Amino acid sequence: MVSLEHYVALSGILFALGVYAVLARRNAILVLMGIELMLNAVSLNFAAFASYLDPERVTGAVFAVFVITVAAAEVGLALAIVIRLFRLRATSNVDEAAELKW
Amino acid sequence: MITDVLWWIFAVGIVGAAAGVVFSRSVIHSAIFLIVALAGVGAMYLFLQIEFLALVQFLIYGGAVTVLILLALMLTRTAAGTPRGVSLTGPQWPFALLVGSGLAAVLVGAAVATAWPGDRGEPALLPIGRVGERLFTDFGAAFIVVTAVLLVALVGAIIIARQEGSE
Repeated sequence: MVSLEHYVALSGILFALGVYAVLARRNAILVLMGIELMLNAVSLNFAAFASYLDPERVTGAVFAVFVITVAAAEVGLALAIVIRLFRLRATSNVDEAAELKW
Repeated sequence: MITDVLWWIFAVGIVGAAAGVVFSRSVIHSAIFLIVALAGVGAMYLFLQIEFLALVQFLIYGGAVTVLILLALMLTRTAAGTPRGVSLTGPQWPFALLVGSGLAAVLVGAAVATAWPGDRGEPALLPIGRVGERLFTDFGAAFIVVTAVLLVALVGAIIIARQEGSE
């Protein structure tokens, strides 16, 4: 029988893979894919808790809808920034866009 | 039980596809693995019997987000493409691997060790009507705010990505 622990562990593994992608990758779009994995892990977690612990009030499912909406807004905006960066610098490497770093 | 076997097949598939996204040497392969992983998460919502989230997942992620990512990949390629031998992973990857595997160990350990109060032991059916009712009554204000966020973010994306000198 698949239990709540299985879902939480699966979303934990997905989240950790996303963290690795965000920390290790150099291409901005690959970093963004890592963020997508992390957001998916979070909404899967919300949905699992809603279904196992709180089926009368479905709060987790509603929050998963909000997470998906914000993720859609975020991916649109981030890709616009990446395209703009590529037009200015001819690169989408996050290591080469370091002017704000000291 | 057949559902359990299917669940494990999908879980292993999701983790494998996500590992493909994270460790693949080609950007396009990463994007295609991402489509598989997101579709697998959509199937997980079906196992949880939340059809509404599964539909939203397939539409928004399977359709819109992956197309957007592939389009951005297409627009940000130089004529020669990614040169051979240039790693997509920075020199900091061992530390990232340490953080990632440590985080995975902590999260999985916490998930297995915690006793969740009120755990029913099986997923309950969450009908679309109940989710919609909750979304438009108790969370109505948040719903309106999030629509404004989406609109403003996408208009901002258009303004940022616009060619200058073409207005």
